[in-house]
Formats: sequence, C-alpha cells, structure tokens
Amino acid sequence: MARGTSPNTFRAAQRPAGTPLGHAPHLHVVGAEARSQAESAPRLHLDNVTVRFSSRAVPAVEDISLSIGRGEFVALLGPSGCGKSTLLNVLAGFCSPTQGHVHLDGEPLTAPSAKCGVVFQKHSLFPWMTALDNVAFGPRRLGMPDPRRIAQELLDTVGLGHVANSWPSSLSGGMQQRVGIARALATRPPVLLMDEPFGALDAQTRSLMQEELLSIWDKLRPTVVFVTHDIEEAIFLADRVVVMQAFPGRIAQEFAIPFMRPRSAEIMDSAKFIESRREIADIIRIEARKSFR
Amino acid sequence: MRGVLRQYASTGSALLLGTAGLTIFTGVWALAAANLNNEVLLPSPLSVVYTYAELLTDGSLLGDVRASIVRVFAGFFIASSIAVPLALILAYSRVLRGLVMPLIALIRPIPPIAWIPLAILWMGLGDPPSYFITSIAAFFPIFLNSFAGGTSLQQEHVNAARSLGAGPVALLGTVMLPSALPMIVTGLRIGLGQAWMAVVTAELIAAQSGLGYMIQISRLSLETSRVLVGMTVIGLLGAVMIGALGVLERRVIVPWNNPR
Ligand SMILES: Nc1ncnc2c1ncn2[C@@H]1O[C@H](COP(=O)(O)OP(=O)(O)OP(=O)(O)O)[C@@H](O)[C@H]1O
Ligand SMILES: [Mg+2]
Repeated sequence: MARGTSPNTFRAAQRPAGTPLGHAPHLHVVGAEARSQAESAPRLHLDNVTVRFSSRAVPAVEDISLSIGRGEFVALLGPSGCGKSTLLNVLAGFCSPTQGHVHLDGEPLTAPSAKCGVVFQKHSLFPWMTALDNVAFGPRRLGMPDPRRIAQELLDTVGLGHVANSWPSSLSGGMQQRVGIARALATRPPVLLMDEPFGALDAQTRSLMQEELLSIWDKLRPTVVFVTHDIEEAIFLADRVVVMQAFPGRIAQEFAIPFMRPRSAEIMDSAKFIESRREIADIIRIEARKSFR
Repeated sequence: MRGVLRQYASTGSALLLGTAGLTIFTGVWALAAANLNNEVLLPSPLSVVYTYAELLTDGSLLGDVRASIVRVFAGFFIASSIAVPLALILAYSRVLRGLVMPLIALIRPIPPIAWIPLAILWMGLGDPPSYFITSIAAFFPIFLNSFAGGTSLQQEHVNAARSLGAGPVALLGTVMLPSALPMIVTGLRIGLGQAWMAVVTAELIAAQSGLGYMIQISRLSLETSRVLVGMTVIGLLGAVMIGALGVLERRVIVPWNNPR
C-alpha cells in the first residue's frame, strides 16, 4: 500500500498555513523519501484508523495512517486528550478500531499478543506479585526457560536488582515504572509500546530514565512507539516525532529527528535541538489554537 | 535494631494499657457486685471464675464450645463455598448480575433470626437449623465483599497480562482471583464474626447444645454466673478467631496489602 497517496499523509507533509517561515526549517518534515525505508517492511502499519467511543460525538482518533519500520523509535506527541493512549491501545490490540486496519508484520492485528510489550501510563504492576514475579510473569506465560533468572537480569539492568523481592506498593513511583519497563522487556518483544512512561517522574529521574531507555534500545533495537506530551523528550529519544492534534485526534505533522546515535543528554543544549523544539512547539501551538475555535 | 526495639516497646505498652483497662473494668464490676450483693442479678467476678473451673472440670463447657464451633464453621464453610464463586460470577457477567442482584437486595435486610421459624419448620431442632442460620448470617458479608473484589478488577492489569501472553485461564488464576482476594478475605473475616454471633441466636432457640443453649438453660435455672461464663467465652473465642484470621490475612493470604 503506497503510503504517500493517502489523503492524510498529504496533509501531514504540508506545512500548515500561518507557519512562521522567516527562517529555514532545521527539521526535516517527513516526506515520501524518508518514509520509504519504513515502508519497505513496516513492523506496524495503521491504515485510515478511526476509533469512536459510543459515548462521544467526536472520534477519539480519526483517519490515522502511519507506518513504523523495524527498529524505528517513534514518538507520539500531542496535547492531553488528543488520542495518544487510544492509538497505543489500538496498536497493542486492546481496542479494535471502529474503521480502518492495523497490521503487525503484515498480519492483521486483532488481539493483544506477546509480540508487543506495553509500558502503561498508570501503575499497572500486579500488586500481588513481588517485583521479580512481575517481571517473570511474561517469561512464565510464554514458557521461556528460567524465568526467574531472566527477571533478575532485567531488574539488574534497570538498576533494581536489590528490590527484587519487594512488593510494588513498597516501591517509589519511579522504581515501579522501571519495574514496568523491565516487565515489558522480559519477553524480548519486537515492539515496545510506551504510554507516557516517565510522565509521573521528577526531572532528574526522568532524564536518567531517558538515557537508560536509549541504552536498552541500543542493545535490543526493538521498534518503539513512545507516547509523551514533552517535546524535548520526544526529540531526544525518537527517530521520528509524530505530532497529533485533538478533537478529533489526527496526525498534524511528522518530523524526522536528525541527531546521531548514541545520543547523550548534552545534545539538549545544542542550538539544533533548541531550534527543533521551537519548530515543533510552533506546530503544536497552531494546532491547539485551531481546535479551540 | 532500633525499629525492633520500638516495636517491642509499643507492643509492650499496648499490652499494659489493655491489661489496665480490663483490670479497671473487673474492679468496677466487683465493686458493683459487692454493693448489690445479689448473685442472681450480678454475680461477682470471683464466682464467675469458680463457675469456670467447675464447668471446665466436668467437661460440659468444652462440649458446648465444641458444638458451637462446629456449627459456626459448618455454616461459614457452606456460606463461603456458595458466596465467593457466585459473587465472582456475578461480578463478571452483566446478565446474571441483573438477574440475581435485585433478589439479593431484597433478602439481605432480613436478619438471620427471622429465618429461625422457617429453619425449625423445615429442619426440626438440632444441628441443621443452626447450620442454616449461621450460613445465612455469614453469606451476605462474604458475598458483598467478594463482589466488590470482583468488580475492582483493573483493566490495566488485564491488558498487561494479555500483552504478556496470558490466555483466559491464566487470566482467571493470575489476575482476576488475586485482585479480588483482599476483599474476599475481608468478607470472610466479617462473615466469620457474623456466623459466630448468629450461632448463639440459633442455639438460644433451635438447638439443645452449644454456648447459646447453655446460656438459655442457665437463665431458666437462675444460674447467672453460668450465663456470664457463656457470654465471656463467646467474647473471648470470637476475638481470638477474628484476630487469628486477621493475622493470617496480613501475613499469609494478602501480604502485599500490608508490606512490612
Ligand atoms: N473508554 C472511553 N470512553 C469514552 N471516551 C474515551 C475513552 N477513552 C478515551 N476517551 C476519549 O478519547 C479522547 C482521547 O483519549 P486518550 O486517553 O487517548 O488521550 P491522550 O492523548 O492519551 O491524553 P493524555 O495525554 O491525557 O493521556 C479523549 O477525549 C477521551 O476523553
Ligand atoms: Mg494517555
């Protein structure tokens, strides 16, 4: 399916009217040629997806088409209520679209599977299991050998080997979120879906976790869809930032992020980074103003 | 180390205060009994202790305790084996919930004691009506709490488990049951207390053994110190059973709700 022909993509690739053009854009607005790589063998493919909740007049997400390549790190960025979680739930198979299709590795995606690891927005650890058992849950269900060892290694990776036998309720919010990430990684899923995983963390922990996530991603190279409403976080982490708008939730614009990998926190101080941030912020402001009218 | 010491100190002071409270109460009781000087209206603590010794040596107290405990646990067992599964099924099935819940709402306000006439008509005197009454009493707290436990299932937990490869069976055992368990256990604890209170009611009227029966007979023969022995044993055993279940709950059954 040729992605460039869908009407939504056409809109997304255009600069909205009213964008300040006084300076040359630093960011590359994703066009057909940048996307072709993702298209050759997309890991995830959304095809004109609309999700409508029966209690709402406006669809939560409308007519979204998106292809995500193997090992690509995509950030979904947008204001609260623009349908980021809804879209992620569709990708995870928790919620089926009202219209449109979702494909994972070319197969229609109809139910949740262990191919997609999910890190949730809110606390989702099983409170009745220790940290270790939470992480070992996936490997046990899939019959992987030695689940406890796998879990212990992952807890060590996220720096929590010493609390393996603690109940989640006795861990801080940041620690719980790290256990959640370890749990999602334990089955070695080719796709990792993360819903504002660092939203509840303080600035220092958040930036540590971002670097930790990048180093894990460097080792395992899963395909990542990372939801956030933090522009800097999106730019720092992702290969591509997909900006969404609200009411209805649509893709406003996509940006390819040019920074080399591996990345360190220093790039956040570079002029290029600050310019990228401004450019994306402008788009978000324009879209927000539109949806207020 | 400091923490352990502090914990011991606080347990010690709690013990001290509790003992002081009991001593004051017994003192007031002894004074009142001495002033009243009427063994039928208010026997002294000392004569209650003598009666304890007497009933323990002739073995009748143990027999009554055993009869009551058996009835409580029979009723408790019947009630929980119906209430827990029913509550969980209703929590997950909208249709069955709509069918059964109105009925439960109507039956629930009927106190266990109001079932006694029917129980005697259907089952005569003896153990069966007591089983029936204790299970009615235990049923509602167990059912209602288990139902709340079942409906407290979080969608995030279900989603997380499914994305980690859990099928329907694994979901039931590893997510639905454990997430309802804290409330189920709370229900069981309250249900046991209710059954214990109801067994006395049932034995007052519908049985020929047990602590309730012993209280009733002793009242008729004006042996008030025996009545007080019965009452204090009921209080003591009830507190021990519920306390033990509470400890079991915190340490063994749902330790994650009370991390130490
Ligand atoms: N189960 C539901 N029933 C009805 N409406 C829903 C439901 N879930 C989400 N919505 C609506 O769909 C829209 C998108 O919600 P969603 O949770 O996807 O937003 P979000 O971008 O994740 O927001 P946030 O950043 O606050 O998490 C919102 O208007 C929300 O109220
Ligand atoms: Mg959300």
